[in-house]
Formats: sequence, C-alpha cells, structure tokens
Amino acid sequence: MVTKCKCMVKLFKLLNKVLLFAFLILISSCIEQFIPLVGEDKDIIVVEGLITDQPGQNIIKLSLSLPLGGKDAAKPLIGCIVTISDDIGNNYSLHETVSGTYIADPAFQGVVGRSYTLRIATNESHQNLSYQSSPVLMKPVPPIDSIYYDKIVLSRMSDGWPSGEGCQIYLNTHDPENICRFYRWEYVETWKFQIPYSVPNNQCWASSNSDKINIKSTSTFSSDRIEKHPINYITNTTDRLKIRYSILVNQYSLNENEYIYWEKLQNIVEQVGSLYDITPASIPSNILCIEKPNENVLGYFSVSAVKSKRIFINDNFNGIANPYSSCEDFIVTGSKPIPNLGVSVWVLISHSVPPPPYRVVTYSKGCYDCTVRGTKIEPEFWIDAR
Amino acid sequence: MKPKIYILLLILYLSLNLAAQEKYKISSNYKDVPFTDFVSGVESILPVKFFYMDEWVKDLKIGDYPDCTSLSCVMDNLLRETTLYYYIDRSGNVVITNNYAVKITATTVEKNNKFLPPTDYSSSAENQRTAGNTSVEIGNPAEKNKPGNVIISGYITNKDTKEPVPGVTLFIQNLAAGTISNEYGFYTLTLPRGVHILQFSFMGMREKMVNLNLYGTGELNVDMNSVMIPLKETVVSAQKSVTLQRFEVGAEKINITSFKLLPTSMGESDIIKSVLLIPGVQSVGEGSAGFNVRGGSADQNLILLYGTPIYNSSHFFGFFSAVNSDIIKDVTLYKGGIPSRYGGRISSVLDIVSREGNRKEFAGNAGISPITTHISVEGPIIKDTLTYILTARTTYSNWIFGLIRDPALHKSRASFYDLNGKVTYDLNKNNKIDFSAYTSHDAFRFNSDTVYSYNNNIFAVKWRHFFNSRFFSSLSVNNSSYNYDITSQYLPSEAFVLSHKINSSGLKTDFNWFLGRNEINFGLDLTRYSISPGSYLPLSNSSLVIPRTIEKERAWESALYIDDKLLLTDFLSVNIGMRMSSFFSLGPQSVMIYNPEQSKSKSTVIDTLNFKSGEITSKYAGPEFRVSLNFRISDKNSIKINYNRTRQYLHLLSNSTSISPTDTWKLSDYYLKPQIGDQVALGFYEMLFKNNFEVSAEIYYKEIRNMVDFKGGTNLIMDENIEKDIVNVRGKAYGLELVLKKTEGKIRYSIGYTYSRTFVKSLSAFSDEIINSGKWFPANFDKPNDLVVTFNYLFSRRLSFSSNYTWSTGRPITYPIATYRVGDKLMVTYSDRNEYRIPDYSRLDLSLRVSGNLKSHKIAHPYWTFSVYNVLGRQNVYSIYFKKEGDMVKGYKLSVFGRAIPSVTFSFDF
Repeated sequence: MVTKCKCMVKLFKLLNKVLLFAFLILISSCIEQFIPLVGEDKDIIVVEGLITDQPGQNIIKLSLSLPLGGKDAAKPLIGCIVTISDDIGNNYSLHETVSGTYIADPAFQGVVGRSYTLRIATNESHQNLSYQSSPVLMKPVPPIDSIYYDKIVLSRMSDGWPSGEGCQIYLNTHDPENICRFYRWEYVETWKFQIPYSVPNNQCWASSNSDKINIKSTSTFSSDRIEKHPINYITNTTDRLKIRYSILVNQYSLNENEYIYWEKLQNIVEQVGSLYDITPASIPSNILCIEKPNENVLGYFSVSAVKSKRIFINDNFNGIANPYSSCEDFIVTGSKPIPNLGVSVWVLISHSVPPPPYRVVTYSKGCYDCTVRGTKIEPEFWIDAR
Repeated sequence: MKPKIYILLLILYLSLNLAAQEKYKISSNYKDVPFTDFVSGVESILPVKFFYMDEWVKDLKIGDYPDCTSLSCVMDNLLRETTLYYYIDRSGNVVITNNYAVKITATTVEKNNKFLPPTDYSSSAENQRTAGNTSVEIGNPAEKNKPGNVIISGYITNKDTKEPVPGVTLFIQNLAAGTISNEYGFYTLTLPRGVHILQFSFMGMREKMVNLNLYGTGELNVDMNSVMIPLKETVVSAQKSVTLQRFEVGAEKINITSFKLLPTSMGESDIIKSVLLIPGVQSVGEGSAGFNVRGGSADQNLILLYGTPIYNSSHFFGFFSAVNSDIIKDVTLYKGGIPSRYGGRISSVLDIVSREGNRKEFAGNAGISPITTHISVEGPIIKDTLTYILTARTTYSNWIFGLIRDPALHKSRASFYDLNGKVTYDLNKNNKIDFSAYTSHDAFRFNSDTVYSYNNNIFAVKWRHFFNSRFFSSLSVNNSSYNYDITSQYLPSEAFVLSHKINSSGLKTDFNWFLGRNEINFGLDLTRYSISPGSYLPLSNSSLVIPRTIEKERAWESALYIDDKLLLTDFLSVNIGMRMSSFFSLGPQSVMIYNPEQSKSKSTVIDTLNFKSGEITSKYAGPEFRVSLNFRISDKNSIKINYNRTRQYLHLLSNSTSISPTDTWKLSDYYLKPQIGDQVALGFYEMLFKNNFEVSAEIYYKEIRNMVDFKGGTNLIMDENIEKDIVNVRGKAYGLELVLKKTEGKIRYSIGYTYSRTFVKSLSAFSDEIINSGKWFPANFDKPNDLVVTFNYLFSRRLSFSSNYTWSTGRPITYPIATYRVGDKLMVTYSDRNEYRIPDYSRLDLSLRVSGNLKSHKIAHPYWTFSVYNVLGRQNVYSIYFKKEGDMVKGYKLSVFGRAIPSVTFSFDF
C-alpha cells in the first residue's frame, strides 16, 4: 500500500506559507521577535544514533537537553553501557571515547537486510535507567546520480531590481529496483576563503554541516526517481562562493517509520510561522525507557545505508558580500610605534612610501588571521581549479 | 360552512394619512420656510388654525417633500424625528403637542366597560409614538361580558414590499404578555377579553400601536411601514422585550440594518465579524475562518443559508464572510437552546435568512471599496406575485499584486466572487414557492505555477403551504457542495492536482400547528452525504505522480423531530422537544482492523473488512432532547432554563489552531463516533428604565463527547486511514455571560462581558495518543475573559457614528521548553499542550456613515462609510512560533493587523 505523499504536502505547505506571507504583507501584518519566559528546566535524554553500512561511521551520542535560549555547552551523558544487537544474535558494544560519544569498533559495519536494536544502560547519575529501541531494518540505498546547481537571480523587495545571485544546489537520484522510496540527506560544505590583505594567514578553508532536516519520499511516484531535489541554497550574503566551494552529500535510506518521525519533527520545528501551523507536540521516538515507559526520549536510532557524492563549484556569482569590508578600524600615521600594539590590534596594511609612513590596523583578529574562521590545512579531498 | 363565530376581519393600512385628513390640500412648495411662516401661509389659504408653543417650533423648518400634496403629509414629514405630535380635529384645529400624542379613535369605547378600564392615554405617551392609533374590534360585542381568554392571530406584512415580516414583537404592556411572529409573519396570542393596547415592533419598521377591543377570537392582519432610511436603526440584536419572550437561552438575532453600520476591516460589512461581538462567541484570531461558540470547535457550528448548510463560510482565508450581506434579511445565532428543527452540529446554529425581492418596484444597491465591489437588484416580475433578487460581489485585489515588483508576487493573483439569487412565487394565497441559489469561488495563484481554488454551490427550492390560518407546512429540497483543488506545475515531474469535495442533498419538511395555547412543530430531515476525501492525480504526461484517490464516503442522516411550545400560565411557558437522529454510512468501503492491544498504526493492522456497495458499514442513532422553561417573574424580568443535547456526524479534520484552507470534511464511520454535546443553561433577563435598558445574565455548562484531536505533528492531507492519527478527546466548557444594553435613543450602547473556560482531555491508553498525561487541559480557543463594548451615536439621520471595542485573554499556546542537537541540527521540544498563553487581545474600531440627501424619491441615495479597524494600531498577537536561527531558537510574534486599517466605501441605493 502506498503512503501519504509527503512531497506534495511539503510543497503545498510551502505554497501556503509563502502565499499567506505575501497576503499578510499586503494587509500590514507584522512579525516581531519575542522571548518567552519559560520557567521549566527539564533534563530529557537525547539519543543521537546512526548505524550505517560503512565502517567508522557508527556513533551513538548521548546527552541531556538544554534550556531554551541559552548557549550552554552540551551536557554529555557519560558512563553508559551502549550495545547494538542484530537479528541473528550478534552483539556489539560501543566504547566511550569522548564524553557522551560512544563509538562502535572501527571494523563494525551494518549489513543491508539486517535489523538492529540499540540498548542503553545509564549509570547512577541518570538513575540507572535502561533504554531500548525497536528493531530497525537496514534498507539499501541507490547511488546519487548527480549534484548540480542553478544560479538564482535575487531581486530587491522594494523595486524588484536584481541585486545579486545565489546558488541553489540540487540532486538527482533513482533506484532502478524501486525499493528505497524514503530518503534523507546530510551535507558537509567546505569553501576556500581569503583575507584581502597581505597578512600571513590569509587563505583558509571553512566548513559547515547541514542544519535542516532534508527528507523525501517517492512512495506516491510510479518510479523511485527524484529529480532536482533541493539540497542547499547559498545566499550571496556569505563569501562561500567567492573562491571555490565544495559540497559532500550523504544519501541515507530510511524506513517508513523513521521517515514519518523526521517529517513530524520537521512539521513542528521548521515549518512554522504561517496562519495554519500544526499544533506543536512532542514526537515519540523509537527508543523507550524500560522502567518509565511514559518518559520522553528525544532523538532517534537511525539505521541507514549511505552513498556519498561530492562536487566543486567554481563560478562567478554577482554581488557576493565581502565580510572584510569593515575591517579597517583606524589608521596610524607617523613613524612612532603604534600605542598598545600587540594583543588586540593587528596591522593590515603598512605603507612607508610616500612618507610619512602609516598603517591600517584592526581590532578584530578575524580580519588578520583566517584561522579564526577556518583552517589553514588543505582538506584531503580538496582539488584546486585548473 | 364556518363555525358560528363572528370574525371581524380587518386589514389595516395603518398609515398616518387617515382619509379624514386628506381634505386639506397643499399645492405650493414651502421648502426651507420657517414653521411660523408656513403656519401663516397655510392659515391664509386653508380653513385651519394651528395651536402650539413658540419655543417648540422655533428651529423648525419645512423640508422638501415633493410628493406631499396634503397638510398631514407635510406635518408627518416635518415632525418625524422630533418629540412633537399633531392632531387635526374635525373643525380644522391643528393641535401640536410635545412628548405625547393625541389619540384618534375610530370607534367609541363603551363607558361602562366592566373588565378592564380604558387606558389613560395622556399618561402613556411612551406607548403612543404615532399620532392616530387605530382601534379595532374583534369578536361579537355581545360576548364582551363572557369570562375567559380568547385567541387572536394574523399575519404581519411589510406595507411596501408585501413580504411577511418574521420576528415582529407583539407586546401588551399592561399584561406583560406578548409573542413573536414566526417565519411566515404569522402570530397567535391568547388574551383575556377586554381593551388592550397591542404594540407591534420590529427593527427597521415603524412601531405600531393598535387599540384592541377584544370580545372574542378573531384575526388581525397588520401592515407595517418600513422606515425609509435604514440609518434609523443601529443596534445589534434583540429588540426590547423580545428577550423576555423567547424561549431559548442564548438566541441572538442580528438585524441587517444594524450590522451594516458596524466598522469594517476591509470596507465590507461582514456577518461573521458581527457574530463575534455576541458574548460567548470567540475566534482564535483575526483572519481565521470560523468562530467558536461556548467552547465548541469551529466545525460545530451549523451555518445555514436558505436553510442549507454552507461548508466553507469564508473568502480569502477568512478575511471575508462567504455570504454577501446584501442578500441577508436577518441572522439568528443559537448558542444554546437550539430548537429541535435544527440538528447536525453540536455547538450552535447560525441561520442566515435571505431577503425576498421587492414586490412593488425595481430597486437596487451598489457599493465600492478599495478592494471589493458589490451590487444587488430586485423587483417584481409579476407585481405582488413573482419577485426576484440578485446580488453579486467580487474583488479586484489583483491590482495590488500587480504593483509589487517582486517577481514571484508580481505574478501572483488572488480573487473571489459570489452570486446569490432568489425567486419567490406566490401561486395563490395558500401556496408559495421560492428558488434560491448561491455560488462562490475563490482562487489564488502563486507565481503562476501553483493554483489553489475553492467553490461553494447551494441550490434550494422551498414550497410553503398554508392548510389554514393556524396550520402551515414547508417542504424544501436542497443541495450544497464544496470543493477545493490545488494544482502545481512547479516541477514538471511532480505536477499534480489535489482535490477534495463534499456534496450533500437534503429534504426537509416542517409543520407548524397553532393550537390554542400550544404551538406544535414537527417534521422530518433527510440528508444524503457524499465525500471525496481526496484525490491526487498527475497533471501532465511527464508527471511521475501515481494517481491516487481515497475511497469515497457515503452516508444518510435522518431525523424526526417534534416540539411543543406550551403556555402553561400567563407567566410560565415551556418548550419540550425531541429530535430523533440516525446516521448510516454506506459501502463500498474497506475498513482496516487494528490490533486492539496497540495504538492504531500501519504496522498494527491485522485484518481488512470489505463492505460491498450499499452495505451499511456503521450506524449510529440517538434521541436529542431539547427542553426550555420560561418563567416570567413580572413584566420586567424573566428567568429561563434550558437543556439540550445535540449530535454531530460530520467533522472537519483540522490539526491547526484555526480552520485552514486544506482542512477536509469527514463523516462518522466505523471508528469515528458521532460527537455528542449536552448543554444546560440558565438565564436571567430584566428591562430597566421604561424598557430602555436591558440587562441579562446567562450561565451554561456543556460537555462534549467524542471530540477529535490528532497525534502530534500529523499531516492530514491525503490520509487514507485517518483513524490511526485520531485521538479521541472529551470536552467540557462553562461560562457566565453578562450584558447591559441601551437600545433606545440617539445614543445606544451595549456592554458584554464573558467569563468562560473550555477544557479537553484525551481518553486513550496508548502512549502516543495521550495528551498532557491524560489530564484536562485548556482548548485552543479557551479565552477566559472577554469584553465587548459597542457604542453608537446618531448625530442626525444623515450622520451616524459607530464603534466597538474588544478585549480578551490571549489564547493558549504550547511553548518550546528545551533544545537539543541532532548532528548540527538544533531541535526543540515542547511543553505540555496549551500550557502557556499569548498576550491579551485588544482592538478598537470606529466608523462614520454619512448619507447624501434624504429625499425619498431621489433616483439614488448615496452614502459614504469611513471606517478604521484597529484604531489603536495595537499589534495583537495571532500566534507565537519558534524557529531556530543558527545556534539559537528564536521566538516570534505574528500579528495579522499590525496597524490601523482605514477604509472607505461608497454605496448607493436605487
């Protein structure tokens, strides 16, 4: 039996939202930031687990939830016993390497067609509770056919004139056997950037991970084929596209239950702000506390096969922002030593000719040293443009 | 042969122009002449003599009355809005009186009348607005000394249009007795023999007094004059003393002339917005379709147009009501004490009664505002027999989109229109037929590749038959349908069209039988539903979408009802009714059977039942009792008690706070039980200060079983087995509604305060179906405090001011309480459902209406309405939502109307 068409739902929700937003602008609606005063501070266990068919990528992270609005560091849940078992009686225990991060043996890799169950036993700091997931089947995933992009012409809201170009990255994939049907994607983007001054560390690489849930189902399509599926959109307000950009996309197979979990999470976390938001609620996980079945568990034990693909983008995009435009804080003239030079002021440009010599300096270390935002070490996969 | 009772049939044309006065003809035009000059002029050419005090008339000037050829006509027009009255006696003396009228009796009342003394007219100026009360004798004067009560009955019609006038209040002050004319304009009243002053009043009509010398049972048919300029009446709801007469606790009548004066948000009079001013009625926010009555969800309101349910009552996502106010005669909202003739929804009935065409002459009205325009025409096809009325409304908001340069919005479009039509045909005195039709269409196009559209269509035929003067019947057949389509060509490989449709056909018969102190109503209601829950089809050959259609739902709903309004004593009346409703859903249908030990989901299906075509898949039936008691303590106050049960077999599936454009209708089925509501209400009503003020207090308690809620985060579009996402919840609501109204004079106001609570509780044992640990929690529309103040000031007949102010507690909301990370994705988890509240709501609206010249026979009467919605510019919060941005979860407040919205409407009657 076919399931609901999530893609259409998503598309409609998009339409609904944009349309309403447009209409609301016309009749002078308004959106204002608001900070809620919520007194509660609950510690809820968070399980972030992914078992794949690749070795070395099998990690379970355990932590406690964080209060709203705070920028507190994650609270890892240490000292737990974490095991994974499959449906033919194999047991694998995971080892805590970093606090709260439990890693399977580097040789372990999931097998397509097997079902896996996660078990967690916490220590006395978390009341010696035990948790267990339902068994999850690993489904095969087809390779990514292609990753490509379109230039998006941006226009100013006020008069509609083009103000620059953004980059929309898409993906195509298909499963000739029509088995996979439910997909999830993650990406890692890496870009080279340069400080426009002749400072020692002026060329680095920065990277960032996907921060949105990206899923799709083809269960209502006659063939398991996905075309032009949006993966990431890069605005021209960053300098990602200025020199050279690369994106690695991981494509995961999902079970229908996990797909529904992500979809519900997306509904209440990301697709908000229209007049017709779905009433928020907590989304049940596939992990239960044995001793307290009503306890809320956050996160999901995912079991997925994975395929990856990387592309590089080296293109001219109009109107890319220059994050260093406000670097030049002040100019020191004369030949006298710069006062207080050292800890917090850096020289960006020095001219000695024509006299008198002067120096352009900055208070911001990021303007002087690219390693504040990235790393000087060229990533292994990096290939510079010819 | 008729029984040997003397029946004096008097058809009264109670105008001011009594024949006796027509002998004083006036030929010259006295326009703008001071009254004293007019007097000397008239006295010089006619054999009349005026008597008055100078100070009464010093500012009085004669207006322009082009059709007046008689002295009485000029006097009528001149004194209409003053406190002055006049009387012309046989010898030509024109006596002007201040504050009271001199009466003219057509017949002399016998002096030795032994039962009730003749009324002392000089002291009861309050009762005698019009010069020339008419006296009527009913029955055989020889029976005057018989003891006991007699019955009078008759029809009330509009003198100009000959339409029957329902809802007219008949009242006898001395007896504190009265009644209200029914939907055919018929009334019946049981009175002791004697001399009575019978007062007929109805909003928009000139109040009328009849001096009744009642000897025996008989008929009295009355024509009432409509007030020429609708400006005269501006107050929402109950006419005075109606409140004391009605049986229902919580019935509110809104007259069209009053709500047309209310401030508008976008230049359109809006019926739903005026309903929201009634205590006990709330909405979750601005621009949301639907309303909540006494803790009921929005789909629990039966909205009737032409007696036919309308399934989507809004245009433009809820910013406009779907029904053009030009077709509306009046609107009654039953928020409790729902009469047995209505059924199918549990919280309220909003009965929109449409107008009939003018029976005498062609007339019309048109109006224009920045984004909408409307027009109506009406008139006789055959005078007094066959009439029509047509109304149309549309928007031209697209020009706004055209002004926006943003490429996506520039290509976007939003439009709607609606059409109403009604033809009324009087076959003969005892048979009337009317045909009514309504159609509405809304379309939105986003960026030229995605279109959303919806339609309502209603058609109704009604045949009214009068068996005799106290036994009526009506038979109507109707059809109502609603559908929406979403088409998208955004991606050619995924181009689709998604549709939903509901269609219902109904047969309804009603019988009204007036039997002495009883008014018995009975009838049958039969409805056939068919719903296409959803179909999802490819839009082109290149689309990969698999065509998919959810199985159709079909069902019959039937109901038999009977009720009796019984006048037990002069101060105690009861209304006992029962409605026996039943529901059958029919195959073909396949029903999933789930493991009863587990929460319903796809993985817990253990079997499938297949029902053949026409086979009954589920049936539900039950009685609905409706009982009211009206106890009149004195002629100034009364107490009413009422209980009613209602059953609902049709549900709107919605998991957002307000009705959304993609919500679908669903019939009760194998799993979805009918919703059942029980309400008890108690009301106290009192008239103060010569009936100029009205105060009332009502309390209610209500329980609702089998309400529908959903598992967290579920999407309902194209859901084939909705039962697996449904959570069965129970609701309870209680409240106190206090109202003070001043309904007379140039300044009129009303203050309504409501305290009400609404709670919901989930009943399931499965963890994913439990909301808030199974405890009672506030419903989405639980707004405990609600204050509504309306204020109207009629400066003159050409200028009136109207305002309303609303304040209420913010609705409940679910806040995020903690964040966590999955990879680099920041997630939030939420508090218990509806644990917090958005800020309070407060809004002030003003409107000013200016009319052009009031000459009654000008070709067109123009008027301007200036309106400011949300004058204070307050950013009332519609919702608060939380979105992650980078490393933070940020809260946002969304306000629909962030500032004051002015609008201007120009209209004219022709």
